[in-house]
Amino acid sequence: MAIAVKLDDLLHDRRMTLTELADRIGITLANLSILKTGKARAIRFSTLDAICKALACQPGDILRFEPGEAP
Amino acid sequence: MSRQYSAALPIAHVALKILIVLNWLMGAAILALLVVMPNERWIMSAFDLSPSPEAERLVMGLRTIAVLGLAVVPFSYVVLKRLLAIIGTVRAGDPFVAANATRLQAIAWALLALQLLSLVIGAIAKALSTPAHPLNLDAGFSINGWLAVLLTFVLARVFAEGALMREDLERTV
Repeated sequence: MAIAVKLDDLLHDRRMTLTELADRIGITLANLSILKTGKARAIRFSTLDAICKALACQPGDILRFEPGEAP
Repeated sequence: MSRQYSAALPIAHVALKILIVLNWLMGAAILALLVVMPNERWIMSAFDLSPSPEAERLVMGLRTIAVLGLAVVPFSYVVLKRLLAIIGTVRAGDPFVAANATRLQAIAWALLALQLLSLVIGAIAKALSTPAHPLNLDAGFSINGWLAVLLTFVLARVFAEGALMREDLERTV
C-alpha cells in the first residue's frame, strides 16, 4: 500500500499502548491492529477523528503517502 | 425469518445429497442400457419394430440420445455439488464470499451446457418421431431453462461484486 500508517511512531511519542488507544476511542484492538499494520483497506472519518482527538494530532501525522511502494 | 432458514437449509442439504445419488444412479442406468443390456432387440420389441433401415435409424437415434443423456450426468453433478457447497457456507453463516461467486458461475455454465444438450436431444427426438412411432421426450427449447441460465450468470456477477464490497467493508476501520 502506498499509504503508510504511522500509528506506531505516534503511540511511541505519546507513550501510549495500542490497547489504551483502543479503549479511549472505542474501537476493537483487532481493528486497530489492522490499521496499525497497514492491512486496512479504508479508514472512516469517525475513526480518524477519534484517533486525532486521543493523540492530539492531525490526520497527516497518522498517514503518509509513499510513492515508491506498490499500490 | 432466521427460523425459517434454519429449517429450510437442512432439508435442502439432505435433498441435494439424495439428488446427487439419484444423478449417479441415472448415469449408471443409462450406461447399463448402452453397454450391458442387449438394447437393440430390447428397443425393437419395446417399439414393436421389425428389422428394417428405419428401425435401425430409430435404434441409432435412441442410442445417441442415451449417450447425450449420459453427458447430462456430470453437468448435473456440477450444479448439485456446487449448490451443496453454497448451502454449506450459508449454514456456516458466511455466504458472501468470492468462492460462492465462482461456484455460481460454474453452475451457470453447467446449466447452459444442460440447455444445449436438451436442445440437441429434443431435435433428435423430433427427427426420429413418426406418426407410427411418436417419441415424446421432455427435451428441447425451454424459456424457463434459458431464463435460469441468464439469472444464474447475473447472480454470479452480483455475488462477486457483493463479496468484494464485503471484503472492503471488513477491512474498513
